[in-house]
Amino acid sequence: MSELMIGFLYGLGTLVLMFSGMPIAFALGLIAVVFMYFFMPGSALDTVTQNVYEEMASITLLSIPLFILKGAAIGKTRAGSDLYLAIHAWMNKIPGGLGIANIFACALFAAMAGSSPATCSAIGSAGIPEMRARGYSPGFAAGLIAAGGTLGILLPPSIVMILFAVAAEQSLGRLFLAGIGPGILLIGLFCVYAMWKYRKEYNAALVIYEQSGVKSAHLNVTEYTTPQKVKLLGKVLPFVVLLVGVMVALYGGFATPSETAGLGALLAMILIGATYRIWRLSEIKPILSSTIKESTMLMLIIGMSLLYSYVMSYLHISQNVAEWIVSMQFSRWVLLATILLMVVFLGFFLPPVSIILMTAPIILPPLRAAGFDLIWFGVVMTIIMEMGLIHPPVGLNIFVIKNVAPDIPLKEVIWGVMPFVALMALAVLILCFFPGVATWLPNAVMGSK
Amino acid sequence: MNPGSEPVGLAKAADRLPNRGAIRWFSDLVHGLNNFCLNLSMLALVAAALVLTSSVALRYWLKIPTDWQDEFSVFLLVGAIFSCGSYVQSQRGHIGIEAVAPLLSPRVNKIRQFICDLMSLLFCSFFSWKSWTLWHEAWVDGQTTSSTWAPPLSIPYGLMSFGMTLLTLQILLQVIEYFYATKEETQ
Repeated sequence: MSELMIGFLYGLGTLVLMFSGMPIAFALGLIAVVFMYFFMPGSALDTVTQNVYEEMASITLLSIPLFILKGAAIGKTRAGSDLYLAIHAWMNKIPGGLGIANIFACALFAAMAGSSPATCSAIGSAGIPEMRARGYSPGFAAGLIAAGGTLGILLPPSIVMILFAVAAEQSLGRLFLAGIGPGILLIGLFCVYAMWKYRKEYNAALVIYEQSGVKSAHLNVTEYTTPQKVKLLGKVLPFVVLLVGVMVALYGGFATPSETAGLGALLAMILIGATYRIWRLSEIKPILSSTIKESTMLMLIIGMSLLYSYVMSYLHISQNVAEWIVSMQFSRWVLLATILLMVVFLGFFLPPVSIILMTAPIILPPLRAAGFDLIWFGVVMTIIMEMGLIHPPVGLNIFVIKNVAPDIPLKEVIWGVMPFVALMALAVLILCFFPGVATWLPNAVMGSK
Repeated sequence: MNPGSEPVGLAKAADRLPNRGAIRWFSDLVHGLNNFCLNLSMLALVAAALVLTSSVALRYWLKIPTDWQDEFSVFLLVGAIFSCGSYVQSQRGHIGIEAVAPLLSPRVNKIRQFICDLMSLLFCSFFSWKSWTLWHEAWVDGQTTSSTWAPPLSIPYGLMSFGMTLLTLQILLQVIEYFYATKEETQ
């Protein structure tokens, strides 16, 4: 059978098994084993488990459960709402300050917890009711939180970036740093939009008040005294110290990424104990069991995705597709756009973990041949996957928001997130024109490659 | 993309197993092992965090070289992940693409879920068998890792084999539960 036909059958088989509803991990493993049986030497089947173990037994990959533990520990406390309240108190005077406070709270929480859904849930449960009470339209409030939550996979420590670093054989430290500039860019874009939208809603409320005397909550002013502000700050300061401390440990050369994960998880457990008195076994057990549950699900997908990619590479499927893409002689920007559109499409069905590991052997060689910096591409790909978290049909964050604020109609949530999808596309364009936004910081801290 | 859900009408399938006999004993055994592994894995997770943190402290403050910590943590985490595969499956926590499910009738959905379980069973059985073969080879040959610490590879291979076997038994239990639930529905 020709390599083309084998490749076609491999793709078709994967689609059928995936869409059957079979767990992704087992579907990937099964299709890989079936093709090993039919198209690879008999001895290949004897090495299946060894392959999976060797791919998984990477301390970088196995730092993922510890990063998840850190996020779960912080996510189980009131840290999210405390963080949000403190930032709100300090940004109260800025027009649209409440919305901006939500974005900053999402960014900080995301950087600490590393999870988009956890961020949406933690900040949204306090932020959305508060914004609505102050007159923000429901869709706008929902969109702010859903988009803010996506920063979790761009700001370090990001699980998506850990996987990209492994799949593309790039420096994890460099990739983490490369996410910071675009993260700040996105925060800036979200804030500008929040101010503009607030001003628009505020002006509309003012016109209604002048015409009919009906006073919207938009027009109410809340004041915080300095002691109140300082008191609120005290609750979140330890977590900001944790965030900074972990980064210093990593980039100061004190700890490897995996040690940083262990250190971060342990410090987070100590902090929630000291700040929120979470010491009892009955309180800690749900944190540990949810971490184990998420990690096991994720790591089995990762292990089987790596086996799947190995078979794809052995059968020359990935090389042939990559060569075909190169032979099309697309201009480098058309190539990039095509690949990113494919990532968007895959994001409709697959989690980022599988997208990265399954597509890396196919898309990275053409990108490398076209002269793209893979660290830069990792950041762009992550932003595209962030978009997948808030655009239909999957849009995980949309459904988290529906849980937090069930009375906001889904249609309004979707319309509310759309401007943020556009802002993310704008950020990708800015990164294409000014790649230094992503590459400057890693080059400055770790030297040019 | 959703965590695999129990097929319609089978949510309480485990309750439909006979109260006595080999099947109930088997079900209790698998659930008991799942809980035991979950508790052990939680300890392993904390232990891995402690070991990695201690390695930073040992290296920087006490100037003691750290040569075993990474590998030890890998063993702990690999063990935790594989041995909890079964617990996660018992909660239907391994995610799958459920895009087709809403388009099908409940009856067809049940059959679809059953076929998915059978295929998962097939794969996990194969993987368990090959894991034990790998473990046996590592045990007999006295294989070790290539690091200076050189711990025996039979430890992580053994944990992987045990975890995948338990996962296979859990899926088998879910297939049996399907039969009991279907039998009850047809009566």
